[in-house]
Amino acid sequence: MKAQSLGSVRKSFAPWADPAAKPFIRFEGLTKVFDGTAAIDDLNADIFHREFFALLGASGSGKSTLLRLLAGFEVPTRGRIVLDGEDMTGIPPYRRPVNMMFQSYALFPHMSVAKNIAFGLKQDGMAKSEREDRVADALKLVKLENYGRRKPHQLSGGQQQRVALARSLVKRPKVLLLDEPLGALDKKLREETQFELTDLQYELGMTFIMVTHDQEEAMTMADRIAVMGDGKILQVGTPPEIYEAPRSRFVADFIGTVNIFDGTLVARDGDRLTIETADGHPIEVDGNEERGGALQIGAKTAYAVRPEKLRISASPLDGPNVMSGEVWEIAYIGDMTSFHLKLDSERIVRVSMLNSSRESAVQMTWGERAWVSFEPNAGLVLSA
Amino acid sequence: MRHRLSGFNLVSLVLGFGFLYLPIVILVIFSFNASPLVTVWSGFSTRWYTQLFQNQGLLDAAWVTLRVGLISATMATILGTFAAIALTRYTRFRGRVLFTGMVYAPLVMPEVITGLSLLLLFVAVDFDRGFWTVTLAHITFSMCFVAVVVQSKLLSFDRSLEEAAMDLGATPAKTFFAVTLPVIWPAVAAGWLLAFTLSLDDLVVASFTTGPSATTLPMKIYSQVRLGVTPEINAVCTILIAIVTAGVLTATLLNKRRQVRREREGQAAFA
Repeated sequence: MKAQSLGSVRKSFAPWADPAAKPFIRFEGLTKVFDGTAAIDDLNADIFHREFFALLGASGSGKSTLLRLLAGFEVPTRGRIVLDGEDMTGIPPYRRPVNMMFQSYALFPHMSVAKNIAFGLKQDGMAKSEREDRVADALKLVKLENYGRRKPHQLSGGQQQRVALARSLVKRPKVLLLDEPLGALDKKLREETQFELTDLQYELGMTFIMVTHDQEEAMTMADRIAVMGDGKILQVGTPPEIYEAPRSRFVADFIGTVNIFDGTLVARDGDRLTIETADGHPIEVDGNEERGGALQIGAKTAYAVRPEKLRISASPLDGPNVMSGEVWEIAYIGDMTSFHLKLDSERIVRVSMLNSSRESAVQMTWGERAWVSFEPNAGLVLSA
Repeated sequence: MRHRLSGFNLVSLVLGFGFLYLPIVILVIFSFNASPLVTVWSGFSTRWYTQLFQNQGLLDAAWVTLRVGLISATMATILGTFAAIALTRYTRFRGRVLFTGMVYAPLVMPEVITGLSLLLLFVAVDFDRGFWTVTLAHITFSMCFVAVVVQSKLLSFDRSLEEAAMDLGATPAKTFFAVTLPVIWPAVAAGWLLAFTLSLDDLVVASFTTGPSATTLPMKIYSQVRLGVTPEINAVCTILIAIVTAGVLTATLLNKRRQVRREREGQAAFA
C-alpha cells in the first residue's frame, strides 16, 4: 500500500520540468580554485525542494568540493550559492541550515550514541527534555532504540552509519548532504539501505544531496543525477535520461557500458543516417534534428549503443545492422551473461543477454562464431 | 613463540639495567642508612626522613619547586597545545617553516644558552628575579616539548570530527572544547606531565633566572652537595624519585586501562 502511494507521488514529482517552479538551491557561476586549479569551474545548477539529487563523478571531478561549498567548509572563489532565497556567501558552517553525513561518519568517539545525536540540538540551546524526546525519535527512525548508551566503537559499521544518519537528520535541516553515505557498507547491506534512505527522504519531505561515485547507487536513489567531470556538471537528468540519452561521449561512456562506433556519415535519407564505421561496417541508424541533423555528408561522427540493446545469436541474423565475429570473452553473472565479441576487424563489441530461460546461457562458448545485430533506434548519434 | 633468554641477552639485560638503575638503587638504599656517613652502612633507619621534615630550608625549596612546576606545566601545556594546533592546522600561513623551527629549537638548545639569554632578557627589562622569572623560564623551554607531543596526536586526528561539530552548529571555540580537546586529551595530559617533570628537575635554567627569594629543590640539593653529601639529600632524592615514578606509572596505567577497556568493549559488540 505504502509503496504504491509512494510510486504514484514520485511519478508526478518533476519540478525541474516546470518552468514556474522556484529552485530551492541555486548555484550561480560557482568557482572554487585550489592552488591555481579550478576544482569547481563556473558551475550553474538548480535543485528543487524535496528532491533527491545525486552528484555522480569520478574522484577529482569536484563533486565533494561542491558538497563542501554547500556545507560552508570551503569558501567559493567566485559565484554564490542561494539556499531557500538566502545568499549563503559569508555564512559559516555552524549557521547554515544544512547538515552533512560524512563518509567516515565522523562520530564523536568520546560520546555515547545518544550524546552524538543530541550534540546538534544542544548547540541550538534546546531544553533537555525536548532533546531527549527528539533523540529517542531519531533512534527509532534508524531502528537503534536500545543503542543510545553505547559508544560508537561498540557498534558495527552498519550501525555507525545509522547513527551518523540520525545525527544529521535530528536537527531537521533544510538540506541533508550525504557524502558517499553507503561507501563503507558491504553490498547486501548497501542495497537494503538504499531503499530505506529513499523512503526516509520521502517521508521526511527533505531535500537530499548525495555525492557518490557508484552509478548504480545514484540511479537507484536519486530523482535526478548530475554527472560531473573536471569541475563542471556535464549533464543533469533523471536516471533514464542520463542512461538512455547521454548528451556527450563522456557521459555515455561514464554511465554504464557502451559500444561507441566512430565513423563517417556517408548517406542520409530523412532521419535515417548511414554511417561507415572506422573499421568498415556501414551501419544504418536513426538520427533527428538534435542528433546528427546538422551533420554534412562526410563528417566525422559516432554512434553509441548499449550492450543490452544488441541481439546475439549463434546463427546468422537478418536485419539492418549485422556484424559477426568470434566469442572472445564470456562473463556469466547469473541474471545475465556478458559477451565480448571480436569482429574480423579486431574490434570488440560488447553484448549482454538476459538469461530468461535456464538454457539460454550455455548455447555459446569461447572461440565460436556469433552474430550480433541492432535496430536503427537502439543507440544514439553522438554530437562529438 | 617464547625464546629462551640466551647468555648474551642476559648479560646485556643485566648490564643495561645495571647502568641505568644501580646508582639510583644505591641512593635509595643509603637514604635508609642509620649512619651519618653516606658510604658506610650501619643499619636501617628512617631518621633522615624525619630530620628532613624539620629542615625548613629544604621544605621551602620543595614548596617553590612544586608551585613553579604546577604553574609552568599548566601554562606550557596551554601554549604548547595552541602552538601544535597552529602548526598542524594552518599549513598555508606565511613563515610556517620558520615558526616550526622556532618552536622546536629550544629542544636542542643548550640549557646554558637558554638560561643565559633569559637572564639577559630579565635584566634588560628590569624584571625582579625570583619565583616568577623561574616560572616564565620553565614555561619557555617546556612548552616546545608539549607542542611536540600534542602535534603527533593531532596529525592522526580526524578533521572531519571538527567539521561535523561545526556542521551541527558548534562555533569554532565550542568545537575545540567539546570535540577536539576530549579526543586529544591523553596527549595533552602526557605533555603536562612531561612539562612538570622537566620543571621539577631543572637546575641550569633555574640557577640563571632565579633571585635570592626563590630557591628550587634541585638548586638547594646542588648547593648542599657542594658542602658534602648528607643522608638527608638521599632521602629528598628518594622522595623525588617516588613522585616521578608514581606520576609516570599513573599515566601509563591510565592509558593502558583505557586501551584494554576499549578492546574488551569492542569485542563485546561483535560477540
